Amino acid sequence: MVSETPSKATNRSVDGSSAEIFISPRFKSAAALAGWDEEDLIIASFVVEDTPERSSSKRRRRSNLLSKTSPPSSGSRRRQRIKQSSNPLPVIDLDEVIRREEEKSAEKKKRKNKETKPETKEEKKAEEDEKILPEEKNTTSVVLPCIDKLRDELSCAICLEICFEPSTTTCGHSFCKKCLRSAADKCGRKCPKCRQLIGNGKYCTVNTVLWNTIQLLFPKEVEAQRASASANFLSKETPTPRDSNHRLRSRNRETALQARLQREDISRLLVSEERSERRRRGGSVRLDQDSDAAFALRLQRQEFASAFGVTAAGATSSSSSSSSSSSDVSLSRARANLRAMASRAARRQ
Amino acid sequence: MMTTPGGSGRFKPLPTAMYAGYSGTASSWVAKTSVSASGKRIQREMAELNVDPPPECSAGPKGDNLYHWIATIIGPSGTPYEGGIFFLDMIFPSDYPFKPPKVVFKTRIYHCNVDTAGNLSVEILRDSWSPALTITKVLQAIRTIFLKPEPFNPALPVIARLYLSDREKHEEVAKEWTLRFAK
Repeated sequence: MVSETPSKATNRSVDGSSAEIFISPRFKSAAALAGWDEEDLIIASFVVEDTPERSSSKRRRRSNLLSKTSPPSSGSRRRQRIKQSSNPLPVIDLDEVIRREEEKSAEKKKRKNKETKPETKEEKKAEEDEKILPEEKNTTSVVLPCIDKLRDELSCAICLEICFEPSTTTCGHSFCKKCLRSAADKCGRKCPKCRQLIGNGKYCTVNTVLWNTIQLLFPKEVEAQRASASANFLSKETPTPRDSNHRLRSRNRETALQARLQREDISRLLVSEERSERRRRGGSVRLDQDSDAAFALRLQRQEFASAFGVTAAGATSSSSSSSSSSSDVSLSRARANLRAMASRAARRQ
Repeated sequence: MMTTPGGSGRFKPLPTAMYAGYSGTASSWVAKTSVSASGKRIQREMAELNVDPPPECSAGPKGDNLYHWIATIIGPSGTPYEGGIFFLDMIFPSDYPFKPPKVVFKTRIYHCNVDTAGNLSVEILRDSWSPALTITKVLQAIRTIFLKPEPFNPALPVIARLYLSDREKHEEVAKEWTLRFAK
């Protein structure tokens, strides 16, 4: 047992030194348990950088182990841990392998379908369920073997196209929202398929699940319909309905942007002053983001120092320490100082 | 058969072709959905009819006009209409899927649901039309009245009465008409 684990650990450690990204924290703990000291330091530094709370637990565990004599079950536990640790590496490969296999099988099926179309209907149906999932995962639409059936199922009975923003009636039939609305207007409030009474179509809502599924399965058709719809309604003031996913995504992006703005608010404010200065000088020098941020921080410190009467020399970094001022500088004086600093720094870069 | 004015040998759907030409440049010129939507739907139905035609039926645009079709139904065997080829005219309204097509028999037929002008008394072509119905379904419905006339919803009550009272006589006359007009 004891002789086995170190050998494994050495293998792992060699791997780890070459490609440190693939080492899982669990493995690190396992290596630590095996008592590999030269690894220990590196691992510890790693872990501290990544997840401090985990490293502490590992250290605790290791110290426990060192103090105690190893219990009889610890060997098996160790092996388990190593097994688990080795999991993350092949998982990535497995995913790829599975995807590749699926693609291959899809191609095979396509070929098979071309040869014998009508006879494999039942088989197709059975495969439909398991096929849809990977299809929905990779949006690069692989042609499903049952795509024609799906197309029939998901097309609107009124316009005979793929349902665009499908709306489902109370009787369970789905049509394009627009088609259903005009059907209710022109043909009375009856379901076009089963003639059951339906609402007046004014309040019909999009069946989100169905709509998303359609968008995943028939992106081209949906896009074409959207393009034609936007072309038709360009003159009208009604905005073309966007898909919910897109809206959600854009909203998320917006909130993220806002959060970032809030975070960078102060630094931006500070930097803007410096930027305007540079613009006035007409310099074409472009600072990269990092130096910008660093400069902003410096300015911030400077302003803070001058505002609260601390000597600026103590607060500022070594590069801009020359612009020290006495403790009784007024606020306007500080601003002038800042501008001077900004111009100097920009010139230096 | 009539030839439509300006009809070329090659099929060219008139209204949609016009709209397609203008849609890119002047979107305001494009008709307010109904016409182009109906054109689209009719084209789609035509494509589906070509791929999967209903049994003993055929249909297609008469000439250039996508909204004017001609259809044929072969009289089903086991009926007095057996072996006859019946021509029908189908005229689609501009708001087609929402209003039924106007179907008229061009071939004379002795049937209680078809009047002397060729108009049909079929409910789905009138009040119980649904936008989910297609040309295929209409043709199938017409084919079923060949197999099973509806004497209680007649276009010509005289024939309906004969159908109910003296079926043999009715069949005999119908067969004669088929022989005379539909072959």
